[in-house]
Amino acid sequence: MFRFQSLDEDCTLEKEEGLVEEEHEIDQFNDDTFGDGAIDDDWQEEHKRLAELEEQKNDLLGGLGLGTLGMGGMGGGNASTVHLPPPASRVPHPSSLPPPHHSLSSMPPPGLEERGGGVLAESLAMLILGADPAIASVGGPAGPDDRSTGLPPPPSIPLQHHHPSQLPLHHQLTPSGLPPGPPHLSLLSYQQHQHLLRRGAAPMQQMNSHNIWENNLGFGPVSITPGLITQMEDSPLMSIIKEVGLPNRPPPMMSEDGRDLSERAPPPRSSSPVIGSPPVRAVPIGTPPKQPISHAMNHHHHQQIHHPTAVHVRAPVHHQHRYPPSFPERISPNTLLNIANSPLCRPPFPAGVGPVLSQIQRAQMLNSQVAGFPRGCQGPPLLPGGGGFRPFFGQPPPHRMGPHPGGPPPNHNHVPCPIIRHNTTHLHPQHRRMLTQRMQSRGGERGGRVGDWRSRDPYSNLMSQREKEWVAKIQMMQLQSTDPYLDDYYYQNYFEKLEKRQERDRDGVRKEHTTKLITPQVAKLEHTYRPVQFAGSLGKLTVSSVNNPRKMIDTVVTSRTDDEEKREKQVWDKRRQILYTVEKMYSLLLEVQDFEKRFMQTPEEQREALLEQHKTHTLQLYSSLKEKEWDDRVSDEQCLLIMSVRKGKRLVSRLIPFLPPLQAATVVMGIARNLPALAKKDKQDQVLCWLVEPIAVVISSLSSASLTDLLQELQGSEGQLSRVLQNKFGVTLLYLILSEGERMQSSNPTCQLMDDNRWTELVFSVTRELLNVPSSSLSPPLFTPPNLLSLFSRYVDRQRLELLQEKLQISALSR
Amino acid sequence: MNYMPGTASLIDDIDKKHLVLLRDGRTLIGFLRSIDQFANLVFHQTVERIHVGKKFGDIPRGIFIVRGENVVLLGEIDMDKPCDTVLQQVSIEEILEEQRLQQQAKQETEKAKVTALKDRGLSIPKADNLDEY
Repeated sequence: MFRFQSLDEDCTLEKEEGLVEEEHEIDQFNDDTFGDGAIDDDWQEEHKRLAELEEQKNDLLGGLGLGTLGMGGMGGGNASTVHLPPPASRVPHPSSLPPPHHSLSSMPPPGLEERGGGVLAESLAMLILGADPAIASVGGPAGPDDRSTGLPPPPSIPLQHHHPSQLPLHHQLTPSGLPPGPPHLSLLSYQQHQHLLRRGAAPMQQMNSHNIWENNLGFGPVSITPGLITQMEDSPLMSIIKEVGLPNRPPPMMSEDGRDLSERAPPPRSSSPVIGSPPVRAVPIGTPPKQPISHAMNHHHHQQIHHPTAVHVRAPVHHQHRYPPSFPERISPNTLLNIANSPLCRPPFPAGVGPVLSQIQRAQMLNSQVAGFPRGCQGPPLLPGGGGFRPFFGQPPPHRMGPHPGGPPPNHNHVPCPIIRHNTTHLHPQHRRMLTQRMQSRGGERGGRVGDWRSRDPYSNLMSQREKEWVAKIQMMQLQSTDPYLDDYYYQNYFEKLEKRQERDRDGVRKEHTTKLITPQVAKLEHTYRPVQFAGSLGKLTVSSVNNPRKMIDTVVTSRTDDEEKREKQVWDKRRQILYTVEKMYSLLLEVQDFEKRFMQTPEEQREALLEQHKTHTLQLYSSLKEKEWDDRVSDEQCLLIMSVRKGKRLVSRLIPFLPPLQAATVVMGIARNLPALAKKDKQDQVLCWLVEPIAVVISSLSSASLTDLLQELQGSEGQLSRVLQNKFGVTLLYLILSEGERMQSSNPTCQLMDDNRWTELVFSVTRELLNVPSSSLSPPLFTPPNLLSLFSRYVDRQRLELLQEKLQISALSR
Repeated sequence: MNYMPGTASLIDDIDKKHLVLLRDGRTLIGFLRSIDQFANLVFHQTVERIHVGKKFGDIPRGIFIVRGENVVLLGEIDMDKPCDTVLQQVSIEEILEEQRLQQQAKQETEKAKVTALKDRGLSIPKADNLDEY
């Protein structure tokens, strides 16, 4: 049952308990985790002992009621709980409360007086002492030894000692079974005491004292405020407690790092392996603060009794401990109320017990408590009329030397100006000033009264100072801001205006107001977590944990400037538009192409309509290419756009055959005109060559004049021809034109080609260009019309002809 | 005030008697013992006060833990102020009876209204008081 674990550094002086405490505490820790690995060998002995006791107790106790305490405690135990259910079935729970409540409640249940007094006392003692996990191990280093050693010589029992003085109904509390003796309480450790009680003639079914504490740990805040304790002054148990004092609550936390053993904290969180997650150093944010160490337990009285071997001498008591209460800071009010209400909580079939109170009766009972409460008055379960007990105000943390603001003990000087804590630096300085003024003015009047009232409230300070600070801390965290003007604009502005106004009103008398406001800001902490990277490994480790989920995608933000984006966008838009136009034209084209098929299929009547449709289509097609105003000229821009797209070129090549000749001619003209540009764009894919065929067809149908025009267009601006010659298509086109011209001339001597000099001139320029152009830049045509040589032979002399021949590789044979 | 001056915090209200109105309409009076960052409240010696007309009744409830989101309003009760109220305290049974009667009367009027409307061919859809969804 006892696992000795090494403790960490948090064993401060405040804790008197030495190793025993730790040991107990460790076990409680184990118990908190519901029995994980807390099985030990001792349990068998325990069980035997318990079994013996049970049998004895069974005879005596009969149907003693079960306190809820015990019941609750069962949940918390571990190995000990294993034993409990069997016993419990037979006998009421060991740590049950016998009903000495009659002294407390207004309605003493009948039949209780018959109980053996010793039984009562013992059970009470067990209960009260067991109710508080703080009491778990009172003994110092002697603790565990007690169990192993035999029973010490019977020490005194103070029970009888106190009875006559304090008990109104003490007859049933006579501890008949307990050996008498002089009160040598100072020599008794609590453990020994327990043994006594246990082994006495008034056996109680009980667990190992240790187990009691363990079991009770699991069930809820167990603390008795001193006020309530004194209600029970009448009972012998209380006298015991007063004399003996309640042992220390085991320090609920030995380690600061979130292993909070008090019942309030959840079991420690498992932290992910360090390798994959940020180190978990801080207590998770939702953890309530640990229970404060019970200072009350460390008063000297206590020490004398329980630690004959002095462990630690407590530092001089805090002013609040001037009248140290005999009791721990916290025994659950529930406990005491359970004493009061235990007749209500009994199991169903106790013999001879009064009826369970109806809901209303119980409510009324409570009501009386409630009604009587605020003024700390006469209600029986409530505060005593006085007595030498002082309320316990809860534990300010050791470092905190400031006085309580609102509720100091009545004998304490009330400090009018409360300490302003460091975490109020978030306030605007002006705000803070106002607050201090306000506090000062209000501080004096309130102090006495409030303190008085608070002093009589036995339930006060259930929420310890630490817990209050914790809540305050969380709330303050929400106020943190890196930019107060952004987060709390109106607050800042309000106080600024206020300052200005004050300054204005006082004409700047006070210098401090003129100082510039500097609101402290919370530094922005770097919260990013970089995953662990080993040198030499490829990439990042894919270790993920709760705190560091794995990044699936490493996104990198590439920010582009607005201009760039605009330009890109424009480009894309334009392309899209062109494509769109092309697509539309294609659809029309397809319809035109399918015209014939459809024409065949439609009946006679509709053929005309179809024909019309066809015409309009073709016109549409053409119109999309042509200039807006001129009918006989293809819009350069449009043509260029369309032709710059591969699809567009294809489109045009398919389109030309369908166009009426004139329009086709203009298209070809347009192409020729823009050839350089087109050629440039066509460098990557030689799509222009698709145009050769249809253009060839067109050319062959051209008149001489238009042919000349075409040639002229081709030559167009300066240097165009050279560029044309660099492009395969251009060369081909040129040849086509020339060969057509030659054909015209040779076939029809009366053709008008020679009528004006244009053709001749053009051909001359062509030949000149051809000769000038370096062979390397002259791209080979798709095909070489055969009659070129004859053409050239007309115009040029022999020498040049031969040069041309060489250059263009026109064989003489083609002639 | 010491905790967070200039802010509204429940810390200073601890151990004082308070009245809290819950979202379901209940009124609780008790000593505020503990709070947390969500304004969950722990009340001690809580009394549920039922008001019917000019009468009221207190039902003692013991310890209450109220989840913060269910609080409509919360106010401290001044113990020193003299309690001059026209309300008359009655016993629990009586107030519960009164409440039942009140509920019954309300239901009956509602029913009558609905029937009357139905006769005239109108219907008012039932308002959903749940503020979820």
